[in-house]
Amino acid sequence: MRLILLFAVFVILGLALESAGARVLSFRSLIPNLIIILAVDLGLRHHGVIPAILAFAMGYATDALSGSHPGLNAFMMTMVFLVSYEVATRLMTANAGVGAVVVFFSVIATALATVAMANGFNALSDTGWMLPGLTLQAFISALIAPIIFAILSTTKRLTGLTATSSRERSIRDR
Amino acid sequence: MKSSFLWRNRVLLTSGILLILSLHLISTGVHPGDLAARPQSAMLEVISPVTGAFTHLSDGASSIVSDYMDLVHVRQENAHLRNELARVESDQARLKELEVENQHLGELLELRDVLATNAVAANVIGSDASGISRTLILSSGTDDGLAPGMAVLANQGVVGKIIAVSPHASRVLLIDDHNSALDGFDQRTRARGIVAGLVDDGVMLKYADRSQDIRTGDTIVTSGLDGIFPRGLLVGTIQSVHREGPGLFLGVRITPAVDFRELEQVLILTQPPPHLPDQAARD
Repeated sequence: MRLILLFAVFVILGLALESAGARVLSFRSLIPNLIIILAVDLGLRHHGVIPAILAFAMGYATDALSGSHPGLNAFMMTMVFLVSYEVATRLMTANAGVGAVVVFFSVIATALATVAMANGFNALSDTGWMLPGLTLQAFISALIAPIIFAILSTTKRLTGLTATSSRERSIRDR
Repeated sequence: MKSSFLWRNRVLLTSGILLILSLHLISTGVHPGDLAARPQSAMLEVISPVTGAFTHLSDGASSIVSDYMDLVHVRQENAHLRNELARVESDQARLKELEVENQHLGELLELRDVLATNAVAANVIGSDASGISRTLILSSGTDDGLAPGMAVLANQGVVGKIIAVSPHASRVLLIDDHNSALDGFDQRTRARGIVAGLVDDGVMLKYADRSQDIRTGDTIVTSGLDGIFPRGLLVGTIQSVHREGPGLFLGVRITPAVDFRELEQVLILTQPPPHLPDQAARD
């Protein structure tokens, strides 16, 4: 329950910041994708049914403020969670550096996948103009990700939640 | 229990089910009144005040930064004078802002009178959260009489249509979004087509007959046949016409009349436009 409440607060703040930021900054690429960072944190550090549902819910919440195909962001965030989970279960560590790399590729992959799923794969041929801005946004998101992970980790500790993945804990205990 | 297949693969299985659920939502769509639309409406209702507050704060911050830049040389001369001037400038900026807002609302009111239909004015409080689609968040919702499918206009022309509503907020799909389409025609040649957004940030007049003499600079207006926008509203001007290629239709790019980034207030038509099949057929 604490995890759900914690992420609900972060998602509301993140979406409001992204939405308001897009109004203020004319260059949209400067705004990091905060929801992907949250989904990656869930996938790297929380392995269970509730975190998976939480990732889906985060995406569905994003659908309320983005796009015209409800379910699209829910699909993307579940995929990001799943990829992050797979990364965390295969690597010895799931530190902020690994998270930043996953965030970088997730921002680019989800944007292109969103265009492809909403308009068909032919539309990908028109996405060349998006790539420089998208890469910049992915880079900024990856740059800011360790800070968000640290804030999340501190908040989790303060609320009595575990801030490391079960795999990391089992390796540490050995 | 913990060694069972289901338990070991619970994350993968849950994610798999959720992915299938997402695909189901994407393929069937979420319609107003659906059970799946309620969380969306609730989320829009929860987030829109926070977004509005952030937008207000950031507008204030930009105003402060702008004031500071203007007054930096005065600051060096006299601290007292600077503070006094800052206060006056701030009041002036606020008054100017009110004047601009008043002017915008006045123009929207004139537009409403011209259209002779019921309309509601709303403030733009946010943009698309992901940035991949082109949508806006408005400060009015079902409590103000808004519903999905209603036309959204600015005094310069067509903005888009409402796609989601909550009691106090709503979302607009802009005409330059790649999922947007409306019926329009060239005012000079009367050639009809579908005004549609493109993935590459542009707007196009699709399905315009190759035999038509459409030229750069022509004005595109709404036809009223889509049942959303009244006839004759300005959509934009033709930016380029491509006649090359083997297709049946022209490649017509449009520059929208409205600068969507600068939008602050919009007008939402709460009544559908009158159906004009005979007039359209004559064209």
